Amino acid sequence: MSRSSPPALACWLLEYFLPVPHRGPIMGDLIEEYALRAESTSPSAASRWFWNQAFRSVPLMISSPLRAGNWHTSIAIALTVYIGVASFKLAVGAMVSRLVAPGQTGHIVFNAVEFLMATAIGGWIAARIRRGATIFLALFVMFTVAILIELKICTIPTPWWYQFGFLSLGPMVVLVTPAIIERLTLKAEGRTS
Amino acid sequence: MKRGELLGSLEHIILLALLRLDGSAHGMMVRREIEERTGRNVSIGAVYATLERLETKGFVSSSIGEPTPERGGRAKRLFRLQAAGRRALQVSEQTIRSMTAGLSDRRVAI
Repeated sequence: MSRSSPPALACWLLEYFLPVPHRGPIMGDLIEEYALRAESTSPSAASRWFWNQAFRSVPLMISSPLRAGNWHTSIAIALTVYIGVASFKLAVGAMVSRLVAPGQTGHIVFNAVEFLMATAIGGWIAARIRRGATIFLALFVMFTVAILIELKICTIPTPWWYQFGFLSLGPMVVLVTPAIIERLTLKAEGRTS
Repeated sequence: MKRGELLGSLEHIILLALLRLDGSAHGMMVRREIEERTGRNVSIGAVYATLERLETKGFVSSSIGEPTPERGGRAKRLFRLQAAGRRALQVSEQTIRSMTAGLSDRRVAI
């Protein structure tokens, strides 16, 4: 890390999670302030400040569409997308079960892939309709997985980390996928944020 | 501003910061002004989220400037206080003045 460059990981976090209209101005403001602080104090103090700003700003910017807009609409969109995605997952799951017998390792792997694919598609669709809806969709996914684990619906014995993976990765994929697609689209169009 | 609708505390502080900065500034200048005057370490995300809300209400407007190398090639977003924002400040401060008038003795007691 050079004297004038802020922590790369914090920059990555901001680049991926800040909504597009705010990304450039906020990143620019933070980079400018970081350079001033690195000169007036020390690069490590400036890095701590940068991390602090990144951690506090990202959740606020993600949730700002909820506060600004009509959250009932966001919930309705999230629920509709959730039902659609769950139906898609069930249909794919039924097809996979014909090919691979339930209980086999292959079936467990397919199940995880289906789940992540469905949550990624869901996150992308929800964000296309309304950005704030992705937060509710992530919560729906988390609650559903938590309930399924609690009710022990899955009859196949799976290790705790597999279940924890579903619980944490599902909502994360819902939130991260739109940011990654947005970033890739901007890159493909040759624009920077 | 709708009758009876008061500014939130951060909205109020940000509009005052813009007023202090000659009516226009970018997000980090606003954040720095608040920190210097109040000692409150506000996050840049909170400043932008509030400025966006104020823009939706018509109290501020914004424009994008040219990207500069010291900002890593990122453009500045300049926010300007609008007449409706000045009126909102007046209404909010008038309401607070009316509510606090004659309370100085009681406030000491609290």
